[in-house]
Amino acid sequence: MPVDSKIYKGPFDARTVIGFYHVDLEYKDGRALSNINFNVSNGEFVCLTGASGAGKSSILRLIAMDCFPTRGQVIVRGMMSSKMNRRRVPQLRREIGFVFQDFRLLEDRSVYENVAFAQLVVGVQNKAIVSNVMRVLTQVGLWDKRHRLPLALSGGEQQRVAIARAMVNSPKILLADEPTGNLDPVVAQEIIDLLFRINESGTCVVFSTHDHEIVKTFGRRVIVIEDGSIESDEERYVPTKRSASLTDRMYRPPTGFFRDERSGKEVIGSV
Amino acid sequence: MFRRAQLLYLLKESFAGFRRRKLTTGVTILIMGAAVLVLALFTIVTINLSVLLEQARSGIDLRVFLTQELTPEAQARLQPELVAIPGVRSVVYITKEAALAQFRAELGDEAPLLDVLDSNPLPASYHVTLMPDARDSETVGSISETILRWPEVSDVIFNRVWVEVLETWNQRFQLASLIVCLVVLIAAVSVISNTVRLTIAASARIIEIMKLVGASNGFIRVPFLCEGMLEGLLGGALAMAVLGGTRYLLGAKVGEVVFFTPVQIAGFIFMCVALGLIGSWAALRKYLRMQAG
Repeated sequence: MPVDSKIYKGPFDARTVIGFYHVDLEYKDGRALSNINFNVSNGEFVCLTGASGAGKSSILRLIAMDCFPTRGQVIVRGMMSSKMNRRRVPQLRREIGFVFQDFRLLEDRSVYENVAFAQLVVGVQNKAIVSNVMRVLTQVGLWDKRHRLPLALSGGEQQRVAIARAMVNSPKILLADEPTGNLDPVVAQEIIDLLFRINESGTCVVFSTHDHEIVKTFGRRVIVIEDGSIESDEERYVPTKRSASLTDRMYRPPTGFFRDERSGKEVIGSV
Repeated sequence: MFRRAQLLYLLKESFAGFRRRKLTTGVTILIMGAAVLVLALFTIVTINLSVLLEQARSGIDLRVFLTQELTPEAQARLQPELVAIPGVRSVVYITKEAALAQFRAELGDEAPLLDVLDSNPLPASYHVTLMPDARDSETVGSISETILRWPEVSDVIFNRVWVEVLETWNQRFQLASLIVCLVVLIAAVSVISNTVRLTIAASARIIEIMKLVGASNGFIRVPFLCEGMLEGLLGGALAMAVLGGTRYLLGAKVGEVVFFTPVQIAGFIFMCVALGLIGSWAALRKYLRMQAG
């Protein structure tokens, strides 16, 4: 295929779980993304940021293969968007957890049933369902509230249920679209901390936010999207007030002097 | 294909529409039943008309009257020619005497009336029976015209009018049934399709979540397909029950009427299930297209 051969494959290696190569996405009412290129390695924790409507959600939808690029290639866990048989999308989805701003829980089912549902529909055995649901609900700290209905929980708790549901099938990738959008700052930070813990256990996490406070204190890779293009893509090591947080101390790389290869000067922070 | 827990879930979800929208579902089944009842009635009338027509046709024979008694040589020449006409099954030669004897037998007690005659007025004739597939008025007409052209033949008669009337009515009725069937089928499918679409719309959230966590498309579709089939099944069963009940109540009054055999009843109900399946499939297709767009 001539089009494919022109596509820049990027520094793709065995650790790459998500790859975007010259991706354009057009909706009926106009262009959403143009020439998006980036790779995400196994175990990375990435923050997509930018104004509302910049294209953050579109990128997440492309990763989940909920839509397909108009041009270019999206590769997720070795599955190429251009060669994707739509029948195989469910298979990919089982390796991806998805969390939304509006939680999207089944309001007529208990916390337990909401999480167990994700296992039921993919055909996990009953016995395994019980132990898996117990594991994730304990992780998010809601095992005690498993019989409650979602609406009887606070926003933060509902989002934790959603995260538990996303994690119960042990996905390799967790996508979170504005997971803190409906939450107050303190609860939002708790959710981010929870995502850190999930990332700690080896799951690659990509989340989007337009909240400057979160971005400012986020000490990992930040991709800034503006008008459908990547404005910047950099690792940040922000010395933050959150340094008391255990996860932050464990996962911030050692701060210190790094040599900028081009200028030869010593710089602090990002390389 | 699915685990037991999944099957239980699918079974439960198949009845979701029934549980949550009792009135809509009930009305759907009623409409489905009424539609199928109309269909069944038309089918019964069509079947009975065909039976009548068949009976009438089996009586179609040709009487070929000859201008004069044939010599044995002429007989030997004509008979094979008659048999050679396509559609003719057998040919029997009836002499003037035989015809008179037959007439006399038919008159019975009044046979002495014939004694007044000083000569035999009846012509010699051929009694031509036809193949079953030649027993429609058109074929019979063309055969009789062929024979009429022969110089030895004075007249050909058959009970043309009765058969023609029946045939016309049968054709008209078949056409009407076909149109009614089509309308009724489309109506039945769209009613079910609509009801299933309501269920789908009410389940938008759960469908979205199932897709999100990687449920296969088949798994997502099954409950909706089952709902459609179930509505079809109940509608069909209702129609057949009404029909059977009516027949039972009318009893002897409709004794002559040909009714469905049990196999045909099962076929009808099966057809309703298939209609339900088509209806819900259409609803799903529409929904999935909407999702994609």
